[in-house]
Amino acid sequence: MPVVTGTERESFAALYERAFPRVYAYVASLLRDRSAAEDVTAQAFERAYRKRSSYRARRGSMDAWLFGIARNAALDELRRRKRLASLEVDPEDTTDPGADDRAELALRRDVVRAAMATLDGGERDLLALKFSAGLSNAEIARVLGMSESNAGTRLHRTLTKLRKACDDAS
Amino acid sequence: MTHPEDTATIERDLRAVDAALAAGTAEHGDPQARELQELALALRAEAPQPQPRFADELRARAEAGFPRKPRTVWLPRRLKPFLAPSAVTLTVVALIGVAIATSDDPGSSDGGGGGAVALDDGADGSSSGEAATGATAPEAGVGRAGGDDSAVVPSEPLPRDGGFAPSQSNRKIERSIAMTLEAPEDRVAEVADGVTRVTGRYGGFVLRSDLNTGEDGASGTFELRIPSARLQAAVRDLSALATVRSQTQSGQDVTRAHVTVKDRLQAARAERRSLLRRLESADTDEEAESIRRRLDLVAGEINGLRAQLRELRLRTDYAVVAVDLVSEGGESGSGAGGGSFDDALGDAGDLLVGTAGVLIRILALAVPLGAIAGAAWLGARIVRRRRRASALA
Repeated sequence: MPVVTGTERESFAALYERAFPRVYAYVASLLRDRSAAEDVTAQAFERAYRKRSSYRARRGSMDAWLFGIARNAALDELRRRKRLASLEVDPEDTTDPGADDRAELALRRDVVRAAMATLDGGERDLLALKFSAGLSNAEIARVLGMSESNAGTRLHRTLTKLRKACDDAS
Repeated sequence: MTHPEDTATIERDLRAVDAALAAGTAEHGDPQARELQELALALRAEAPQPQPRFADELRARAEAGFPRKPRTVWLPRRLKPFLAPSAVTLTVVALIGVAIATSDDPGSSDGGGGGAVALDDGADGSSSGEAATGATAPEAGVGRAGGDDSAVVPSEPLPRDGGFAPSQSNRKIERSIAMTLEAPEDRVAEVADGVTRVTGRYGGFVLRSDLNTGEDGASGTFELRIPSARLQAAVRDLSALATVRSQTQSGQDVTRAHVTVKDRLQAARAERRSLLRRLESADTDEEAESIRRRLDLVAGEINGLRAQLRELRLRTDYAVVAVDLVSEGGESGSGAGGGSFDDALGDAGDLLVGTAGVLIRILALAVPLGAIAGAAWLGARIVRRRRRASALA
């Protein structure tokens, strides 16, 4: 195991603090399974920690690097457990509705979920990278191995498709 | 292909989405863009949140540096598929490298074939310093070298009559001997004369000779052919001419080749006799002409086989004897056991060249194998990427 310097630890700690909720959100969006999402999130951070010396700044931001690792881990898990079918299942409701949960919000959430079900896996992955992981278009492009303009175009196309699906569902 | 207006719309909508995510509100003036902003905010609100218990556990592990669970052997998962092929490849390369290195041993003499019998008695450098010990009584009237009256390398006794397989008296053996004689510089010419005299005395002949006497020292090389039946006595007399620095003997059994050629010759002769009889009783000109053509072919075959047999007999009846003659303190034939700085330099150069040769051979194998392994690695990576992508299909 490589020698860990104090600076490296601090750098990784900062990355962890910054990215942990987003990595979990992204992985959970892909896997739709809380337990599996926890396992894969832990696995992704551990892999990133072990491989942190392989990170090269010229190849993209640290967040993009981390989410590349998380995506690979999630896809491996998805393939291993043959959870393709589970992507089609309604997502688990992980939010606490609370007493003041408005009917309008619940309705909108249902509409969005129904519309999401019309998207394919690649489109859902793209939306998860944007809205669950909170990555910029440039970072998404880095994670998916495409140009930034291509990533933006695909994102717009997917959002447009989702909006139409929402209109149809409502 | 995207239309220019579409590009502008896309850029506007993407900027609107990013602005909504940053501000947390959807306030764009364009209704279409505002709808996308609202959708973006709804999607972000849908992002699952980690359980506090899990967040605490993972934070603790991260702060501890992700301590490893006890495992027997840890390997990155992506390396595991290549572990076995890599081990096999490395083993093969190592074995071939060792085989090449072993076959390059400069002290070995393999006699040039699978049936070779090599008898090496101290030809390599390691034994040259101590080689001039033991005694063999000189029979010829040639003066002894340098006052050392026992300077003959004890050699493996040459086989009597039957060659290298005494139990079979009719074996046909090709024999060869290489020896290095060392004499004082002022006696090199005299020893060279002695080599020629001994060769003639035993019915042999000098095929090639080269004698140099100059400021750089005296040396000579001789390639002799000596009747195999008298080889032992001739070698003994040659050894008595000067100090024997090294001597190597080898033999190769060519009985099988000899018998094969002889059998084929007999068969060809029998066919010729048969053809001659048929020719005498041929009824038509065409038949006679056909037999004559066949006879010509058989005659050619017989001539060729005779030549082969003669060649084999020559090789087995006469032994090849190579004599290197060097002056004392001069060039060392085997490159060890002291010597001048130049000798050491030369030896070092030879060693480097030998090592480089072995390395080049190993590289010649390792580079293509490495290329194959690299291609396999790339292929596996592409396949893995596609499989991952298929998980989203």
